[in-house]
Amino acid sequence: MIVLNSSDGATFEVEESVAVQSQTIKHMIEDNCADTSIPLPNVNGVTLARVLEYIKKHAEAKDDEEGLKSFDAEFVKVDQASLFEIILAANYLDIKGLLDLTCQTVADQIKDLTVEEVRAIFNIMNDFTPEEEAKLRNDHAWAFE
Amino acid sequence: MRGAKNLIAQTHKRKRNIKQKTAWKKQCSVSRNHIFASRKPEADILHELEKEKVGDDSAEGFSLKASAPSNSHGVQPLGNLYFSPSSHNSRNSGLGNLRSLTDELVLEILGLLGGTHLGVLSTVSKSLYVFCNHEPLWRNIVLETCKGGFLFYETWKSTYVSAIRPSFEILNSGLNVRDFYSDYLFQSWLCANLEMKPEWLERDNIVRAKGISVEEFVSRFEEPNKPVLLEGCLENWAALDKWDRNYLIELCGNVQFSVGPVEMKLEEYFRYSDLAKEERPLYLFDPRFARKVPNLGLDYEVPVYFSEDLFSVLGDERPDYRWIIIGPAGSGSSFHIDPNSTSAWNAVIKGSKKWILFPPDVVPPGVHPSPDGVEVACPVSIIEWFMNFYNETRSWKKKPIECVCKAGEVIFVPNGWWHLVINLEDSIAITQNFVSRRNLLNVLDFLKKPNACMIVSGTRDRVNLYEKFKKAIEASFPGIVDDLLSKAEDKKIQKKKLSFWESVTDSNAGAFKFSF
Repeated sequence: MIVLNSSDGATFEVEESVAVQSQTIKHMIEDNCADTSIPLPNVNGVTLARVLEYIKKHAEAKDDEEGLKSFDAEFVKVDQASLFEIILAANYLDIKGLLDLTCQTVADQIKDLTVEEVRAIFNIMNDFTPEEEAKLRNDHAWAFE
Repeated sequence: MRGAKNLIAQTHKRKRNIKQKTAWKKQCSVSRNHIFASRKPEADILHELEKEKVGDDSAEGFSLKASAPSNSHGVQPLGNLYFSPSSHNSRNSGLGNLRSLTDELVLEILGLLGGTHLGVLSTVSKSLYVFCNHEPLWRNIVLETCKGGFLFYETWKSTYVSAIRPSFEILNSGLNVRDFYSDYLFQSWLCANLEMKPEWLERDNIVRAKGISVEEFVSRFEEPNKPVLLEGCLENWAALDKWDRNYLIELCGNVQFSVGPVEMKLEEYFRYSDLAKEERPLYLFDPRFARKVPNLGLDYEVPVYFSEDLFSVLGDERPDYRWIIIGPAGSGSSFHIDPNSTSAWNAVIKGSKKWILFPPDVVPPGVHPSPDGVEVACPVSIIEWFMNFYNETRSWKKKPIECVCKAGEVIFVPNGWWHLVINLEDSIAITQNFVSRRNLLNVLDFLKKPNACMIVSGTRDRVNLYEKFKKAIEASFPGIVDDLLSKAEDKKIQKKKLSFWESVTDSNAGAFKFSF
């Protein structure tokens, strides 16, 4: 069993065979840095719990493609802030499947939005002057056809 | 480019595994490893700011290509933020909630979008404008959607736009964005526009040989597995006289050649290589050039030293063994070991190449082969390797072998040696890999390995190559393998004997000295 400590002091236990889905943890184990517990200062407790949920499911239901697909679809139905936290955690912990899943989720959200919708959904300030914005719209007219 | 000459950057060590098969001669793809230049002391920074005011181009640090484009949009390294009076980073305000993600993560998400999506996003905010203009994004899109070739138009983005909307008038006047600080994007721009520093080209310690006999080549270099630069053995190559841009375009300008992941007409490739300013320019590297254009094959011949070519016993089933290589300054191959444990020779017909070689037992700095030898992680670009790792080798005892190989010269790359090559100017070369009696046993051992299906290269039939080759060799050269094996045994025994005697005699005093 591997013990993981989140940034806010929460402790989690997970089987080594499951934990090594994280390349970061895998290398720490290989380098003998996992004797007592592994501190993960970049991941908070809530996020770490979700990440562990993912890797546990993907370990136990490894061959159930259909099952994993629907699990993944449900898994990413979280608020934006949480989704970004999971992306950062998946990146830090180097869990390819989770990173791919979450990045694709964001990409899918962006895909067919209008400029105004993108600004709204991500709380982005329009920092162009009217002239700059007009010029850019013109230069990118091909994308709006 | 504001702030370009102030190379202020933090030492970030975030390694990302860039996968490259040891057996793969071609370029790595995508991702980057960012290990930045170390922070400069305050005095130096101020000194450089002064120089910049006066427009001094000889600032210490790095020199930029004269043609460095301004479509860097004014991206500055993060350290410059310390000098900004407002400390405002438009990167963040323009990303909104996405600001918590790293630059690479933002780019990873953008990399999942299509060209029109990126076009729309470019108009959302200044930050997204800069991110969406990151050329590698557009390069990937073009390479994925234009498999059969493309007409390059100054940038990958405009190349894409003209491919999908041929009649659209592309104005390459970009927006200059102030207050955008990002190490990742700055580094990317920097690597694409750096010139090779003269000090990286100074060391030339390879052994050179001219007019030696084949026997001498074998005993001095091939047997002991040492590299050598051979001069004067391409005198009868028609290619040296004939092969220039015009001749090649006339001969086969419309023929498709392998360029990285795509095929391109030679003419289109030359157009690209003239215009593109990239960290890793696409490299024309074709293993079927002689079949596509037989005349090319006739314009050169294998130098006499390398005439033993045992894979030829496999006829058409032999792995890829010869390539024509064409590329602009900055193109090349980062550290790798050649496939199937073969040796190689590389002859420059036009231009010049900088070579750095490490013996098989010395892993180059910054390179991380996996234990099974299947994958090699290394910095994305050759320029980045020079920036961050070259100087390390200066203090090593086991220095690498280095040289600049010029037109008319051939370099012998012994089997198992790590090597990195960068074109210093537009270059055309021919390279071949080969197996001779000297490395036959190594090659058989390599092909026999249990993970052959992953590490053997240049053929579709990886698993069976060992069996096929062994059979074919025995058929054409009966007894050769056993002969070589017994010779190798003899050598081992002799070595043991020698060391025994050396331990019982006082060899330092010059008393008994046996030689076998």
